[in-house]
Amino acid sequence: MKALTQTELETFLHALQPAWDVRAPIRLSDGTRALGRLEEGPLALLGGRIPRKPTDVFFAQQEKVFDALPDGSFRQEEPPQKPLFVLGFTAEDLECLEFIDRFFSSGFADDIYLRKRSGAVIGGLTGKCGSAGELLRIAGGTCDLELVFDGERFIVAAYSEAGEKLEAAMTCAESGASLEDLRRASEALPQDNRRLLEQASALLIAERVPDAFWAEIGERCIACTGCNLVCPTCTCFGVQDWRYPTHIERSRMWDSCQLDAFMREASGHNPLGSEALRTRRRIHHKLAADLRRWGHLTCYLCGRCDTTCPTGIGIVAVAREMVARHAGETARLQG
Amino acid sequence: MPRNPSSNSGHTRADSLYIPATCRIEAVSELTPQEKLFRVSLPDGRPLGHRPGQFVQVSLLGWGEAPISVASSPTREGYFELGVRQAGTLTSAMHRLEPGDTLGIRGPFGNPFDLERMSGRDLLLISGGCGLAPLRSLIQYCEDRPEQFGRVCILYGAKSPADILFKEEIRTWEASASFACATTVDNLPGGACYEGQVGQVTRLIPPLEIDAPRTLAAIVGPPVMYRPVIDELKQKGLTEAQIAISLERHMRCGVGKCGHCTIEHLYCCSDGPVFWLSEVSGLRGAL
Ligand SMILES: Cc1cc2nc3c(=O)[nH]c(=O)nc-3n(C[C@H](O)[C@H](O)[C@H](O)COP(=O)(O)OP(=O)(O)OC[C@H]3O[C@@H](n4cnc5c(N)ncnc54)[C@H](O)[C@@H]3O)c2cc1C
Ligand code: SF4
Ligand code: SF4
Ligand code: FES
Repeated sequence: MKALTQTELETFLHALQPAWDVRAPIRLSDGTRALGRLEEGPLALLGGRIPRKPTDVFFAQQEKVFDALPDGSFRQEEPPQKPLFVLGFTAEDLECLEFIDRFFSSGFADDIYLRKRSGAVIGGLTGKCGSAGELLRIAGGTCDLELVFDGERFIVAAYSEAGEKLEAAMTCAESGASLEDLRRASEALPQDNRRLLEQASALLIAERVPDAFWAEIGERCIACTGCNLVCPTCTCFGVQDWRYPTHIERSRMWDSCQLDAFMREASGHNPLGSEALRTRRRIHHKLAADLRRWGHLTCYLCGRCDTTCPTGIGIVAVAREMVARHAGETARLQG
Repeated sequence: MPRNPSSNSGHTRADSLYIPATCRIEAVSELTPQEKLFRVSLPDGRPLGHRPGQFVQVSLLGWGEAPISVASSPTREGYFELGVRQAGTLTSAMHRLEPGDTLGIRGPFGNPFDLERMSGRDLLLISGGCGLAPLRSLIQYCEDRPEQFGRVCILYGAKSPADILFKEEIRTWEASASFACATTVDNLPGGACYEGQVGQVTRLIPPLEIDAPRTLAAIVGPPVMYRPVIDELKQKGLTEAQIAISLERHMRCGVGKCGHCTIEHLYCCSDGPVFWLSEVSGLRGAL
């Protein structure tokens, strides 16, 4: 297998630039690690998942729906001139991306998303590149190309034709590298949080979580919307028109179900009229409603909401509290 | 990455989900001081292709977009109608429009009334307030295809005589042999000239003679109306699988993407707005 040093990888990414629009983890001048273009800051491959959701490359915080021109015609964003190569997804991020690909394509196809997404080549970044050098789960598929850091070099695994082409273009010293040990270590990573979510999901579906629980958790929410804005499987948006002297722009922007106006109707009726209902909705949607709709949970444990929530009610924290308080009760009730 | 995205068939434009088709306003009439009826035609007079119960996303560029039910039946060809209450930014701007002006239209979207299942059955069509606009599409359909349905009974409740929509059309329904029709108002202000009943729309149900197994009901109205009407219908022997309801939600996209209209695992814009009560009665926040 090919294995590139950081310098070799950097040279490779720069060499791609004329033909590709390359996005990779970089350090911005304010110190933030983000997915960006190489000229926007030095590469910062190590350090764990990117704080922002990497899916924002295809579904941006704010993006144009169309410009309406005075002659009555409409202008949409052109499809990208060069193909995108986006490097920096964790295994969990890749699962999130796979889900929102399905979400945006199912039923009515969202052409704004698909225009950006189709043709893009996705690179996973895993292995010993966690925030303190710990092992991040190896994806082993679900992307075109995966770079697995073994502590010194990035071992290359290609999973698609597009990935193989990129791999073929990489030059490095003969390595003799293998993913065997890393893969075994990855498989042995604890699955506790996954089990926790499944238990919480079962409680929600069995309606074992009382309203008082949501009232108490909701009480802690300060409606900062952080949990939704960082979540790669949160896809809700609002739409607004802006008037310019030359045209009118309609754009869409991420929205948050933790805000009180999210569902308020023109009549004043609000199906999510309390913090308790909104907090329940955020968790219930991913762990129960989506299970019914899609056949699986739509939280892939990327970890962002738990890190972001200033009051400690990210999804894992809430699931843990739910299970600690109500799972025993269920067992007793069922027993 | 799925290679074959699902089709956007049904929408007025095949090339983009979010770009509206520019339509012409043919006529505007005042229904009440707050509500106007717009008669709209698509470019080249092509049909909208809607079914009763569906809605369109109406755009005025610079003012925004909102879901509005199609108030006319697809059997009335060459145009479609929208009954619009002045509620906020977009609808206020719409109320300033005149014949010859243009509107953006996306759609038709949403799950319509189940005309196949309604065929050959007695229908009980109940609406309150603004809800008569969407139900009118189905009523006109029944009017134009009387052979397709059994007895059709229309019940309508408005706040006051001044709030009654489609007054003249209601008179023709009252006179029609195909329909039984009753209207009521919640309040009768002093001096109002009105001959109908006074009281909530629920009061119109107990006196009805209903052949429950043959009957399907449809309810469209403000959120507060549903529970009491449903209770009365159950008293008459109707089951939840025989009651269709049309739900209003805050909608941004109309096509199952923006997330504002969810009811647990369902999207009101694409799984609804018309649901059988049995599909949603167990869902938190549906009613
Ligand atoms: C399926 C469906 C069918 C409808 N049919 C009709 C109809 O036939 N006639 C009619 O007059 N109205 C209809 N409505 C309601 C209409 O969409 C709202 O009144 C809409 O808000 C009007 O937009 P506006 O810009 O004038 O108001 P805004 O200025 O947007 O709204 C004022 C208030 O309504 C809330 N709101 C904003 N956007 C929406 C939205 N898209 N839906 C609901 N609430 C919103 C805002 O939070 C605010 O509190 C329908 C709604 C739905 C969901
Ligand atoms: S961990 Fe939080 S942010 Fe990440 S996918 Fe789950 S809900 Fe979304
Ligand atoms: S991040 Fe926490 S405090 Fe902020 S909106 Fe989400 S749940 Fe509420
Ligand atoms: S209106 Fe956007 S998802 Fe239903």
